[in-house]
Amino acid sequence: MILQVHHLTKQYGDLVAVDDLSFEVEPGEVFGLLGPNGAGKTTTIRMILDIVPPDAGRITVLGGTPAAAQPRIGYLPEERGLYRNVRVLDMLVYLAELKGADRARARQRALEWLARMGLEDRAHSKVKDLSRGMQQRLQVVAAIVHDPDLVFLDEPFQGLDPVNVERVKGVIADLRQEGKTVVLSTHQMNLVEVLCDRILLINRGRSVLYGPLADIKRQFAPHAVRVRAPEIPPGLPGVVAIEPKDGAYDLSLAEGTAPRDVLRALVDRGVDVQAFEVAPVPLEEIFIQVVTGAQDESCAT
Amino acid sequence: MNWRKVWTIARHEYLTNIRRTGFIIMTAIVPALGIIGLILTVLLLPRGEAVAAWLERQFDVGRKPIGVVDRSGYFTPILPEYRESFVLYEDPEAAEAALRADELQAVLVIGEEYLESGQITALTRESFGEAALADSERVRTFLVTHLLAEQVDPALARRAADPLGNLQARILSETGQERGGGMVFTFLIPYFLALFLIMTIFSSSGYLLQSVAEEKENRIVEIIISSVRPTELMAGKVLGLGALGLTQVLVWLGSAWGFTGGMATLLALVGSVGIPARVFILGVVYYLLGYLLYAVLMAGVGALGTTMRESQQLAGIFSFIAFIPYMLASFVMINQNAPVARVFSFFPLTAPTMMMLRIPLGEVPWVDIAGSIGALLLSIPAALWFGAKLFRVGLLIYGKRPTMREIWRILRG
Repeated sequence: MILQVHHLTKQYGDLVAVDDLSFEVEPGEVFGLLGPNGAGKTTTIRMILDIVPPDAGRITVLGGTPAAAQPRIGYLPEERGLYRNVRVLDMLVYLAELKGADRARARQRALEWLARMGLEDRAHSKVKDLSRGMQQRLQVVAAIVHDPDLVFLDEPFQGLDPVNVERVKGVIADLRQEGKTVVLSTHQMNLVEVLCDRILLINRGRSVLYGPLADIKRQFAPHAVRVRAPEIPPGLPGVVAIEPKDGAYDLSLAEGTAPRDVLRALVDRGVDVQAFEVAPVPLEEIFIQVVTGAQDESCAT
Repeated sequence: MNWRKVWTIARHEYLTNIRRTGFIIMTAIVPALGIIGLILTVLLLPRGEAVAAWLERQFDVGRKPIGVVDRSGYFTPILPEYRESFVLYEDPEAAEAALRADELQAVLVIGEEYLESGQITALTRESFGEAALADSERVRTFLVTHLLAEQVDPALARRAADPLGNLQARILSETGQERGGGMVFTFLIPYFLALFLIMTIFSSSGYLLQSVAEEKENRIVEIIISSVRPTELMAGKVLGLGALGLTQVLVWLGSAWGFTGGMATLLALVGSVGIPARVFILGVVYYLLGYLLYAVLMAGVGALGTTMRESQQLAGIFSFIAFIPYMLASFVMINQNAPVARVFSFFPLTAPTMMMLRIPLGEVPWVDIAGSIGALLLSIPAALWFGAKLFRVGLLIYGKRPTMREIWRILRG
């Protein structure tokens, strides 16, 4: 593993920001770090980056301590900004040098990434002369210009228009292709579904969901199938409810009924089945369910 | 401590700030003033004597003539050039009456046997011994000129009467002979020198503050803090901007050197004051120590502010404290070893400014020098510790300035 967090704890006065948190990140994957506001995501990231010391627990990143790993980690913080009065290329090279990169290499990489983000003709402009969209792209470049092996993106899509959202998705795909590992923290569940391999959902500093996304979705999958067909005949055995959804039909199954039984029943009845799958549950719903469930729990006590 | 990173930060701060218009203007002020001064003195040089005479007349109190009763015969008649200031009286009573009537400053009664016995009486209204002495040069030249008038060549008579009239004062210093300066220069030039040094300390510390507060306001600080240690960041900024201040000082010193060198060869009127090596060395020491102390405190306090304005307000307290010795300058100039001056010399925050004001004025007890340097050397590490802690934590607090209680908790660790 590229990152190992063991029993991490951080307290600010009476507030326990991170509570006995443990998880791992595999090299080369895109890992989703999720949770409501105030859950402790940013605090956790700051501890991994050695910005803030933990009260208890151990962090092993890139085979060593957080302090040793700093040069090889890239970070796009949630509260982010840029120098205003400096030239774009100079700023990128400076930030890369602060990470310990060699000047010439940093310059080269900066120019490459500026080109990839469509900013190559702005290399010598002052940052304050760039439009907001350009500055947002520039911020992403600033986080990775030093060729890090592990990248933390905290709310990278915040405030981006759809075109730039696609650009950032492209960056994440490129990083993955280069063999880098990405930890993505965001509220955009639809994007997590598309991008992430494994996730960790934190609530109130504690781990509430952890593991491969597919497994989690399966865990929360309602006992139902989604069928795309012109119509569903009534009276199918084992089907307790039929609900139209997104141009298809969600069939809720009784206990003991396997999805393939329903498929066989449909085919036998001559239904023109165009698509058939176990009903997916959007991650957003899982998130809300888990988080509000916990809220209710705590309200009850 | 990764010194390569400290260097990167220092270089970045130096290059970024040296291009600021504010800095360029401030650095150019001294050479500009020098040029203006040069032009003025060149314009005034042909009329130099007239200017000097005019200045002398401004300070003249106005003098009445001196009555002369001459029993020896050598002073009758009075030579033309002295007739304005010396009036001959046949009758001693008449002279006394004129003195009583305040028409005369004094009456000189020259005895019959003056040549052999030197008998001469000066009569004045008050025991104003000073007045008589003040005029003794004039009286002396008056007497000598008249005594020699018939006997020798007039030029010889004049020279004998006023042998030191054209005296040129010169001071022997380390480098050779320097022109003697007036009282004005002995005081003013060190005063302004110290003032300029203080200005660079505060302009560099000001840039430091600005840089810290800007990075916080820009929100870029979080990326920086994930790349370098807070102590490396602080060290880089303090050193980079210290180098900037030094550059400014060197430009000023260089232009001052060039100008006084130029002026000395051009002018006979204006003297330049050679700065003794002792003053120069101590000046450098206090400058460096003063900068380190203030820079570190400013960085820490500046990191606490949430906006640039707030940071500047917080740091303004230090500027004010450092300036206290200048508010006391009139006392210090009279006696640089006055108790009030000595007290402020031992307090680290006022020590650099106070000592830089005292030292050029004259001898300062070495106890004061050793003590003030010692106090600074002890306080700088303490300030570093204090400032670094504030810096480390202050950088990540957005939105609200920490209260005094929170700051106390931060310091305790």
